[in-house]
Amino acid sequence: MSLLQSIKNSVRKRSIHVCYVNTGSCNGCDIEILACLSPRYDIEQYGIYVHNNPREADVILVTGGMSPQWIDKLPDLFDRVPEPKAVVTIGNCPISGCVFNRPGCVIDPPVSKYIPVTAAVPGCPPRPTEIINAILSAADELFKNHEEKEAKK
Amino acid sequence: MKKVVDVSLPVGPVHPCFKEPLRIKCETAGERVLRTEVELGYVKKGIEKIMVGRPWQETMFLAERVCGICSVVHNTAIVGALEAISGIKVPRRAQLLRVILNELDRMQSHLLANYSYCYTIEHETLAMYLLNLRETVMDAIEKMTGTRIMSAYVVPGGVREDVPDAVLSDILSALDKVDSELKRYVKMFETGKLIALRSKGIGILSVEDAKASGVVGPTARASGMECDARANEPIYSELGWHMITRSEGDNFARIMLRFDELFQSSSIIRNAIGKLEAGPVRLGGKVTAGHVKHTIEAPRGDLTYDIAVDENGEVISVAIQTPSIMNVETAAHVMMKNLASAADVTSVFISADPCIACAER
Repeated sequence: MSLLQSIKNSVRKRSIHVCYVNTGSCNGCDIEILACLSPRYDIEQYGIYVHNNPREADVILVTGGMSPQWIDKLPDLFDRVPEPKAVVTIGNCPISGCVFNRPGCVIDPPVSKYIPVTAAVPGCPPRPTEIINAILSAADELFKNHEEKEAKK
Repeated sequence: MKKVVDVSLPVGPVHPCFKEPLRIKCETAGERVLRTEVELGYVKKGIEKIMVGRPWQETMFLAERVCGICSVVHNTAIVGALEAISGIKVPRRAQLLRVILNELDRMQSHLLANYSYCYTIEHETLAMYLLNLRETVMDAIEKMTGTRIMSAYVVPGGVREDVPDAVLSDILSALDKVDSELKRYVKMFETGKLIALRSKGIGILSVEDAKASGVVGPTARASGMECDARANEPIYSELGWHMITRSEGDNFARIMLRFDELFQSSSIIRNAIGKLEAGPVRLGGKVTAGHVKHTIEAPRGDLTYDIAVDENGEVISVAIQTPSIMNVETAAHVMMKNLASAADVTSVFISADPCIACAER
């Protein structure tokens, strides 16, 4: 590992910018992501910053089971996120559609049909601690030695 | 001659201030906002259509997932509608426990709304204080029901399980904490000079406009309209509820009204816990066919369930009228009209406490 790479690794570990995208959730998961911001869970002590701007994000948190409005917009949004990037889905909806996946509904799960998903946190909704845990573990694996992995490809 | 350039300024759907996706299209002349329009439909799921043809045991859980912030009130509303159809009696203890949970839900929803507003006007310190205080209320809900959100606590004929006395005293101590801390935060909000600059006299909704536009809930009450479905429920009057209104109708009034209601909710819960007597919390009943329109007060305003059930307990038709849709449209068409600065578009919108998941379902 080069010196530059090790510097990048240590910097990236403490600087994860998060953007959350609601693709048809009921708000429950979104509120649990917001609760992570509160001083009790204090997501910023791990170096995670919620900016909600896809152009400076590293991790996209997707909630909800893919409503028709998002089918063309979500891949577009994913393309605008700079490399390295990861997608973490929050809740049951992006995995299976949860209670909404019934005949007659308009959503089209899973989200992994449209964009590559790195990790999924099940739960209706998951607890804030689980969300923080998922972001940290997914980002750690994915962003480590990113440039060297790219060079090998 | 100075040239005025008209700019169409889109805000959203992914925006730092919005918890949920929607797009506000603003037409601006210089810095002044001439008119705005909301584009909805990003979180449409079709819940009402899924509910049709299902037994009410399933629609209960679907109704709860209309909105994640005020899930308790949706649960109470649909169960109340089913009880009204079938004439099911609710024991006294269960009624009081429902009031306690609904008011706790209202407290966390109002705290979240005020957090969002403070975050939008970039007063992050107060925002974080309020969000941390919300966790205290969420803990009380979790101790009472077992989960933070989507508790499915209200069931036809009563509530799911009894609450032991130890939990009730925990709720009381949580309320003590909320009351004592909130007094400080309200003073911060009331006397903060920068907050007043960004809140007072902005996004004004006059009484006439409020009455014409059909706005409900705290947004209507902050404009001086007496509009609260709790006035029709005798149990609330018994527990010391009274109508709170303010006359200013601007952003500041809407947020202050929610602070006032927080203290009121806290005193209602105290009175309800004081009046709890030992007794059953769940009685049986038989579901009969019928059609009813049931309205209760959600944290954001009047919530109506128009539901028809057949004799097997299957839903024939259901229509949900949520408060958010009226407030969202009023915010876009009345409050934001001729706004002096495009920077206030988001704060005016958030002050109406929009819940897009409720509005679209």
